[in-house]
Amino acid sequence: MSTLPSIQAGLDGAMPDMGLAEAARRRLVVRDSARRSIGRRRTAGRAMQAICLIAVPIGVAPLVALVVATVSKGAGAVNVGFLLHAPTPEGVPGGGISTAIVGSGEIVAYAIALAVPMGLFIALFLFERPGGIASAVRFSADVLSGVPSIVIGIFTYAVFVERFHHFSDLAAGFALGVLMLPIMVRANEEAMRTVSVDLWEAGVSLGARRSRVARSIVLRGALPGVVTGNLLAVARGVGETAPLLFTVASPTFAMTLLIFNDATEPFPDAQQAAWGTALVLLALVLTLSVCARTVAWTLNRKTR
Amino acid sequence: MNDPVSSSPASPVAGSPAPGEAGDGPDGLRPWRRRRLLPSSPFYAVVRWGAAGLFAALVVGLVVSIVSQSSQAFTHSGISFLWSGTWNPDAGDYAGGVLVVGTVLTTLVAMVLVVPVGLGISVSLSELTPPWLAGPLSTSIEFLAAVPSIVVGLWALLVLSPVFATDVEPALEGLPVLGRIFHGPAYGPSVLLASVVLAIMTLPTVVALSRTALGGVPMADREAAMALGATRWQVVRRTVLPGARSGIAAAITLAVGRALGESIAVALVIGNRPAIPHSLLAPGATLGSAIVNQFAEASPGLGTSSVIALAGVLLLLTILVNVVGQLLVRARGGRRLLGVRGAVV
Repeated sequence: MSTLPSIQAGLDGAMPDMGLAEAARRRLVVRDSARRSIGRRRTAGRAMQAICLIAVPIGVAPLVALVVATVSKGAGAVNVGFLLHAPTPEGVPGGGISTAIVGSGEIVAYAIALAVPMGLFIALFLFERPGGIASAVRFSADVLSGVPSIVIGIFTYAVFVERFHHFSDLAAGFALGVLMLPIMVRANEEAMRTVSVDLWEAGVSLGARRSRVARSIVLRGALPGVVTGNLLAVARGVGETAPLLFTVASPTFAMTLLIFNDATEPFPDAQQAAWGTALVLLALVLTLSVCARTVAWTLNRKTR
Repeated sequence: MNDPVSSSPASPVAGSPAPGEAGDGPDGLRPWRRRRLLPSSPFYAVVRWGAAGLFAALVVGLVVSIVSQSSQAFTHSGISFLWSGTWNPDAGDYAGGVLVVGTVLTTLVAMVLVVPVGLGISVSLSELTPPWLAGPLSTSIEFLAAVPSIVVGLWALLVLSPVFATDVEPALEGLPVLGRIFHGPAYGPSVLLASVVLAIMTLPTVVALSRTALGGVPMADREAAMALGATRWQVVRRTVLPGARSGIAAAITLAVGRALGESIAVALVIGNRPAIPHSLLAPGATLGSAIVNQFAEASPGLGTSSVIALAGVLLLLTILVNVVGQLLVRARGGRRLLGVRGAVV
């Protein structure tokens, strides 16, 4: 504490004979400017806070309007017949979207069959083998997840459809699988990283094989994250249109394509069907996302 | 190759770890994964390596097939396919320049709209509103990130576009200074409408990611700033936003990538006129929308190859954005690089 006296000395030196009145005046100046400063900063801060808060309704309004419009316009179209009947030609009443629902289900099933196991094994690869190769794989996953879905559609067209001269649900499933794969890989890897190192070591030290450790410790511990990540990826895949555009034979074989097709038709019936399909799709996707989160929550509570 | 997080020195357990190989986990703990020390079943190894190999083949195959399929277009127009000329298949003109301009323009306008609004929302939810409001609101915004783009496109085409044609666009044209970029007849479908759609679609992503980034700033930093006499806004502006810089940069990068690559919703509302738009109210076209609209009717051979070349250009653009984004996020002290603080106002 040797500095204090010297500061005091400096102050005394700077203002050797300041009278009481002068000191009070200076104190007032300081207090005044401090008050003005906080006032200024408060006003500016309030203005900025107001701007931020205004952004909330501005941003949320279109999203709400979108959902409300889809629900209100789609509700008029959706009924049991709409879900169970096949589409009819323009002008024939009573058409439904059953082919599109079945087609979408089939495509997504193919995509899941391709992407879920691949995603798990690639994530296990990244988990077990650090180093250059893993970094390269991880980098590829990052790049692939940034690739626009339309490019994946074109790629699938070039690889499958053009080669075999044949549109197919299998090709569409492949395209969706490629789209979902990088999301799943990164989600799985993140989930596996939460597994404690000690548990892995304990498993290995018991003499278990690595496949056994991977199954019973890594996958088990990572299960909530894995399920959530995969469900979210599936939700994303269900709603994609672009990869199906060049791979599915007819727009009536997938819900998203049906919407795309009907939206541009001038007939009110077609637009009505588009709204109905949009509502079904929205409900499906939101259900999947809600499931993803509740599953994670329940499993988390169970394992902890 | 190494994550910036990795700081672990050579591990004592493994025999001789290569310098670049140790620890890229978040905790730097990796030595226990040394391969040779432990027995592994051959089947498991084959499956793992097989999956990784297939994945590598997939990524390489994607790039190679698009490059090889588009070679005909590039031999026809040369490398100037990227920037020059007009897209007019009837006259045999194939060049992606106008489409690149349209893509960059719509993305840019969308970002001008979405970045301030998105950051405003995430700052509000993270710092300004009480938890009982912020919690449900941010959860529902995150759910809205899952809304399929085709649904957004449908809504924009059938609901938003008539409103734009009758109300919004004439109003914008009457603006004093900005009216200049909004001149011309109001059709509804336009570059502006496409940008608005892109902004709506990317908003949930921006909000969710930047809110996570803001929430990651330690509470102690906020308390320290408050203890120095900062007002609530000053805490946000000087402490929280700089602290969340890289996360916000990542959010914006992701949004840019999605906006560049979005095709279906844009194809529905942009009006599809492959020419340089003279105003934001004019119809235009982007790479993605042109692929959607032209592919079905492209003539075999050069036509198809040119559309695939467009996909190649789009691929290049998005990879570029992602790599730059990664570099920005990893750059330390890159405060001025993305102008995040400026973007907040």
